[in-house]
Amino acid sequence: MTGRERVLAAFRREPVDRTPVCNPTSVATVELMDLVDAPFPEANRDPEMMARLAATGYTELGFDTIMPVFTIIQESSALGCKMQWEQKDNWPTVRMREPIWVEPEDVKLPPDFLTHKDTRCVTDAIKILKKQYGDEVAIIGKTMGPWTLGYHCFGVEPFLLMSLDNPGKTKLCLDRMKEATIEYGMAQIEAGADALTLPDHATGDLVSGEYYKEFLLDLHIELVEKLPVPLILHICGRTLDRMDYIAQSGMAAFHYDSKNPPSEAMEVVDNRIALVGNINNPETLFSKGPEEVRQEVYQNLDAKVNLVGPECAIPLQTSIENLKEIPKAVKDWHRDHSTPN
Amino acid sequence: MSLTTDIGRRIELVSMDAHFHEISIALYRQEGTNGPEYLIHTYSQLDGAGKRVEFVARAMVALGGMEAVAGDTRRVRFPCGNPHQFACRRIFLEACKWDPAVGLESRPLTIFDKKSDGDLSVVSLGDGAYRITGDAEGDKAAKRRSAIGAGLVKLGEMEWAEETEERFSFPCRQAHDKLVGLLLIRALNVRGVEREQQMAAARGQLLAPSAQKQ
Repeated sequence: MTGRERVLAAFRREPVDRTPVCNPTSVATVELMDLVDAPFPEANRDPEMMARLAATGYTELGFDTIMPVFTIIQESSALGCKMQWEQKDNWPTVRMREPIWVEPEDVKLPPDFLTHKDTRCVTDAIKILKKQYGDEVAIIGKTMGPWTLGYHCFGVEPFLLMSLDNPGKTKLCLDRMKEATIEYGMAQIEAGADALTLPDHATGDLVSGEYYKEFLLDLHIELVEKLPVPLILHICGRTLDRMDYIAQSGMAAFHYDSKNPPSEAMEVVDNRIALVGNINNPETLFSKGPEEVRQEVYQNLDAKVNLVGPECAIPLQTSIENLKEIPKAVKDWHRDHSTPN
Repeated sequence: MSLTTDIGRRIELVSMDAHFHEISIALYRQEGTNGPEYLIHTYSQLDGAGKRVEFVARAMVALGGMEAVAGDTRRVRFPCGNPHQFACRRIFLEACKWDPAVGLESRPLTIFDKKSDGDLSVVSLGDGAYRITGDAEGDKAAKRRSAIGAGLVKLGEMEWAEETEERFSFPCRQAHDKLVGLLLIRALNVRGVEREQQMAAARGQLLAPSAQKQ
């Protein structure tokens, strides 16, 4: 199987020759930026650089996917949020203390939403990557979910307070913001994306499982209907309390955090959705060595997790040898467990 | 075809070199025939990046008392053949900070300490052992010397002598005067060093919007 075939089969929870190594979020590092002369922040705003840097996930690290949307702020920039682009060694962020919207009526997509430099950069990069690597690996795009857009555009605190004080108004805002998710997702599909990551940060630290059900489950079901490629929902943190709901959403996969033990997570989702991710970023990939990375990969494979990869966008200072260890470990594990997965 | 190869375990990284186009420079540990060797490496393809890396290697030799591995301008080791890995990382960081326009010169074993308002010296006692002496007298000055000794022990992965709290030594029982001179300035403020390390570790980690400082 090619990497692309392997990944797409795993999203359908069909048999594969080996577990795919998949990064639904960024695997860019400062050293890879040097290698292909595509440093941040420029690599988030220039399609050639973005494609060059993203391709290293396949050409250097040996993953079965290429994911060029390193940040979580491309569409928020196009929506008019105030940005802090930072430097090579740090992530660009939205200045959420300076929200752009207050009321549902404020939620409007600007006419240049899809032609804005920072959204266009992604669709152009996907076109480049599709042409160069489209037959070999799965090209994964990313469109932010309405809950995350709410944080960016309304501010975290005002948005959360609104959800407590006026759930109806919050739902109206989410419903309007979902248009950005759909439009941007469709643009990436048309550009050649095989699948889309859909981060929607209803994270375990601030939002309960029941909140997910009340505010997001139906919306996510609708997004699955509207976006005709496999969707990978990404939510950071401990999410076991909502995985049952997530498994009902129709999403192809859930990109899950290392705070959730693989075997417990697999039990909850019960083959209703593929799981991907789980390799810890700050403590393992960033701070430890290949042996510890290998152990975590094995834990996921032992639990029959469908696709293996980092839990979230990796720290930019992560070492290349740790990242290369993920596909190496997957191949070794399968060699030692020779029956097909 | 992959451009990256197995060059050992990365043990330290400068993400953005202040002296050469903000390239990333890393320190890799490899096992040589006479003990560990440390490779200074960049993936940057910019013209001059190789020369910059060679300067860092020379600076590690000049500032930290390491030696170049024969026939390799980017690889260094300790003459004693021991790892001293934590100290090596510190030497690397200091070498990257060193302004290339300024001549390379090892730091002295004597330094002025504001807190005790006097000069402090580290005296080599042979067999890799050292002791701190100073102008100032009294309990406060003695405590300060002890604190700086503790800083050196921590930064250099040294050991206190069992019989006295004033004497400490490298486990290899070899003198490393240049390394001690380099660490002395940082031993005055070990918390500052730790803060710097923590900040470097936190940088580059992507946080969920809900976890970001707004």
